Amino acid sequence: MTTTDQGHERMPNGAALASFLAAGTGVFAVGFFVIVNEAGLFAAPALYGPAGGVSGRTTFAAVSWLVAWAVLHRRWKDRQLSANRVHTITLVLIALGIMLSFPPVWRIVA
Amino acid sequence: MVHGVVLGGGALMALAAALFALRAMRGTDASHAVAEDRTRYLVWLMVFAAATLWLTVLVGTYVNFPPYRATPPDGLADLRQYPRSLIQSNPATVWLHAFAMEIKEHMPWMAAMVATAVAFVAIRYRSRLLTDPQLNGMATMLLAICFVLASLAGVLGIFINKVAPLD
Repeated sequence: MTTTDQGHERMPNGAALASFLAAGTGVFAVGFFVIVNEAGLFAAPALYGPAGGVSGRTTFAAVSWLVAWAVLHRRWKDRQLSANRVHTITLVLIALGIMLSFPPVWRIVA
Repeated sequence: MVHGVVLGGGALMALAAALFALRAMRGTDASHAVAEDRTRYLVWLMVFAAATLWLTVLVGTYVNFPPYRATPPDGLADLRQYPRSLIQSNPATVWLHAFAMEIKEHMPWMAAMVATAVAFVAIRYRSRLLTDPQLNGMATMLLAICFVLASLAGVLGIFINKVAPLD
């Protein structure tokens, strides 16, 4: 066994959980910016005119994802955490994000 | 063609292959050297899947979407150069914008973010992705979600392209 192999086996799971949870946050952020736009509460500005509002919504969501990832990675990278709880929260955030981006749901808030 | 077939198709094939590999190669019985060797190709496959997904998403949003949503001049009868207006001019195809394109605008971004997270974990944890059941299970679940989202966007894209192809 090489030193690198041992490093992978002994590495705390914090960095993995941070990336999973941040992805869940990013997916939820997409849904959030879509639904607040459809509800008329907040319209992310178009960052590229020809593409329209989707350029703003997706950029805001991508920035949210990267910020969440950076913060979580910094805090968790050296820690061993309970995976089940983080996995559950991640999947819930993903489910909510997908649901909020589903056009039939918009009719409820519009 | 580049957006849908080359990039989108490539991403879907890579996601399917990575999903299969994650399930077929998992197990704690393999030696570390064997697991490490197996993982090398899987890591590249996941990085490729995430990269092609991002390229698909960015090309779709910033190259293909603007001509799709272009506004035709007033009074123009032939809307073939203006796919969104063409779709919306027929009640039978309005859903292709109101449902299909709206999904295509947002859900692929979700798939790209999730695929990036899994690729990062593959790079950082390498063989542990195959030997740690929790890590393997979550990576498999997330890649499956990516595959479903990307497939949905692809199928809806085919429907839209059938009615209003982007020349």
